Amino acid sequence: MFNLIRRDVILQKKQLLMFIPFILFFIIMDAHPALIFLVASIFIPFNTYAYDEKAETNILLNSLPYTRREIIASRYLGAIVYMVLAVGVTSLALAAFNKSFSMTDIAIGSGLFLLFAALTFPLFYIFKPGYISAAVMIGFLFLAGVGPRIVLFIAEHTTAITDFIASLSTPALYTGAAAAITALYAASWGVTHIIYQRKAF
Amino acid sequence: MENVVELKNVTKAFKGFSVKNMDLQVKKGFVTGFIGANGAGKSTTIKLMMNLLKPDAGEVKLFGLDYKTHEKAIKERIGFVYDGNVFFEGLNLKDIKRIVSPAYKNWDDIIFSEYIDKFQLPLHKAIKTFSKGMQMKASLAIALSHHAELIIMDEPTAGLDPIFRRELLNLLQELMVDGNRTIFFSTHITTDLDRIADYIAFIHGGELVFNQSIHEIAENYALVKGGVELLDRDTEKDFVHIHRTSAGFQALTDNMKAVKHTFGDMVVIERASLEDIMYNFKGGMHHV
Repeated sequence: MFNLIRRDVILQKKQLLMFIPFILFFIIMDAHPALIFLVASIFIPFNTYAYDEKAETNILLNSLPYTRREIIASRYLGAIVYMVLAVGVTSLALAAFNKSFSMTDIAIGSGLFLLFAALTFPLFYIFKPGYISAAVMIGFLFLAGVGPRIVLFIAEHTTAITDFIASLSTPALYTGAAAAITALYAASWGVTHIIYQRKAF
Repeated sequence: MENVVELKNVTKAFKGFSVKNMDLQVKKGFVTGFIGANGAGKSTTIKLMMNLLKPDAGEVKLFGLDYKTHEKAIKERIGFVYDGNVFFEGLNLKDIKRIVSPAYKNWDDIIFSEYIDKFQLPLHKAIKTFSKGMQMKASLAIALSHHAELIIMDEPTAGLDPIFRRELLNLLQELMVDGNRTIFFSTHITTDLDRIADYIAFIHGGELVFNQSIHEIAENYALVKGGVELLDRDTEKDFVHIHRTSAGFQALTDNMKAVKHTFGDMVVIERASLEDIMYNFKGGMHHV
């Protein structure tokens, strides 16, 4: 299984050269640190899908001594592994440029990444290859652009929820969010697992 | 005799096509050629063997094990070669090896380098720059480098030039010297099989027509030629397909003994090639 996770690095050697300039671009543009953590985390796991959505890749992986359970597990565990690595590299880059960031930024960036991954990973196994990568990327940019406004809109118009959230203490808020995201990630894993078991190649 | 692959009553239905009640055994230590027209169900059957497809009904067993509980153990023992390239086309062979080799417990780097030398494959060029023949050699090198007991190949000779086809067949023959190996491969180029196959499995319209040794096929199947006046409801029974012309008939039988008994010297009996057999089944089985 470790091999399946390591595979992503071998596949993306060339793209990885882009990784650093990619992060630096965001840092120089003075983007919010949480956003940089999010974007950096997305880089490897979603690039992998550009390969994995191809039927041939699935035929190859499933003909090797791996089970379908392992293939999906490597996606979900791999995303976490690469997220941690990306956060590490990004932290170093931020520190090198003397940009301040907090643990909260890391938590928000990682949390949003996991949320995004949980929502989109199953789609890669539902939709036809060729469309999904583009759809997810557009979806991401759209959400990044419009998402905050929607949240603000909801916050203003549904005061009951806002009041409830505001009434929570900061630790409770973070713990709650972490628990919710973990649960969603686990549920997403379960759904993808079931979809993949039934897939024909 | 031990069976390496056993399909029992396997059915798999798709829109407009299905593999029906397939009972197929692949015997250990032999080369089995899997023939059938395009769209007869060869690739589907191979995918069922590889667990890329799951049967709607029936049982698939390899080495006496089923995929539900022994998936990894089974695949450790299989080397696969597919019709098209399944490897990441942007990568070079060295990187592909780095991805594939850790998957197998028995991966053997020495054998792999031997094949790379033998096939004269470049390690540092992307697979997509390879010719069809080189891609086939590359998959073969990968399939043969982990001491697989069973080699499953889907149309390995399709699209290859005659020289390399012959090289490939020689190589397969060399592999069989080790008596534990089993090779199962599909093809629609039947002349490949005369050279190396011990058994022939013939699939037609999603159904297995026969799975017999080359020897049995030569004993049972024959082309029969004679005058049309010899044909009637009773004598036609032993023919799979009959082609009538004004000059006489030509028919394929799957029961040469019976034909000899019925017609004696009144007909000419010729050896049926695999192509003759496939061709005569094309119009469907008429036991007229």
